[in-house]
Amino acid sequence: MIERILLLGMFLIGFWGIVSRKNLIKKIFGLNIINNSVVILFVLEGSRAGSSAPIMEQGISNIVDPVPQALMLTAIVIGVCISALALALAFRLYKATGTYNIQEIKRKVHNGF
Amino acid sequence: MKQKAINVLTIISLASVTLVLLPLFLENSPWPLSARNYLELHGVGDSGAINLVSAIYLGFRVFDTLGETIVLLTAVSGTIGVLTRAGAVLAEGYDTSGTPALTEQEKKVIMDDHTFTLAGEKRRSHALRTHLLEVVTGVLGPVVLLFGFYLMLYGHLSPGGGFQGGVVTASGIIFLALGNRIGAKNPLIRASVLDRIEAAAFLLLILASLSGILMGRGFFGNPLQDVTAIPAGYIILLNGIIGLKVGAGIGFLCIAMVGREIS
Repeated sequence: MIERILLLGMFLIGFWGIVSRKNLIKKIFGLNIINNSVVILFVLEGSRAGSSAPIMEQGISNIVDPVPQALMLTAIVIGVCISALALALAFRLYKATGTYNIQEIKRKVHNGF
Repeated sequence: MKQKAINVLTIISLASVTLVLLPLFLENSPWPLSARNYLELHGVGDSGAINLVSAIYLGFRVFDTLGETIVLLTAVSGTIGVLTRAGAVLAEGYDTSGTPALTEQEKKVIMDDHTFTLAGEKRRSHALRTHLLEVVTGVLGPVVLLFGFYLMLYGHLSPGGGFQGGVVTASGIIFLALGNRIGAKNPLIRASVLDRIEAAAFLLLILASLSGILMGRGFFGNPLQDVTAIPAGYIILLNGIIGLKVGAGIGFLCIAMVGREIS
């Protein structure tokens, strides 16, 4: 139970980062933290079924469910793609406006730079 | 006053997200065992891979993997497109004639006055790249590359696989890029080479996915199913191709993000 509460806390930290921080890079970090908390939650869920790793060597039985692990591989790669694209967009905004602060960017865009 | 209003809004949104997610995170219903039990009994026999995670993402759910590689390809193209337009990429192969050169002031900030160069040493040095970092990463790079290829090719037997091996290979490429000497031309850290490797690996993946059709097994059918000597041969092949593609793609992204070369 404690690990689930910690994961919820991790998710909330990421969400707080997205909602409350002004710096675009910190918002992207928040997105990453949320992604990681969900990945760990899925792996944790899959491990409820058994105890050994799903590598079927001689004498291995009572394995954990490998399906969430395989799905989370996909989620990790897509998380990498999202952060790369988000960082590139943030950098582009920085080049255009000279700041990472989201409110400054908004103000500058309103005033037509 | 405005700051306070924002804080109240933050707390309200955090509380509502907690309210929505609490049952999701704390739910404790019994885990459905049918998929696990089937895989435990038949997974190795059906796919030939001892590592059941590999068996799933390259056997039972291989369409997923194809979609994922397409997402990676799209993300790499999008990121490079956005970065190139922003004038940040000075990696070889891009037209950066439009970007202004560094001013003397900027050069002075980046070049550290206190860095020293030993006689005969062929490394650039500035504040962001110390000698220690460059020597260690340059020596470690090939070892990390080798470990990445080990993870790729033994993914069906042990923890690892194409994606994991690819990411480790990408770290090896970044190490090589950080430890690069001035004289040595390492083709592995050139963006033009890496994007060709990625494109070629994607073409190979498509060809490998079509190869089953020739044997009458359909898209992503295993052409080596009747060859009992290497039951996991198709999975090894796909792992290698995906590893190359992921390694080249993520290495390319990171090298593009390392940014402006100081010459």
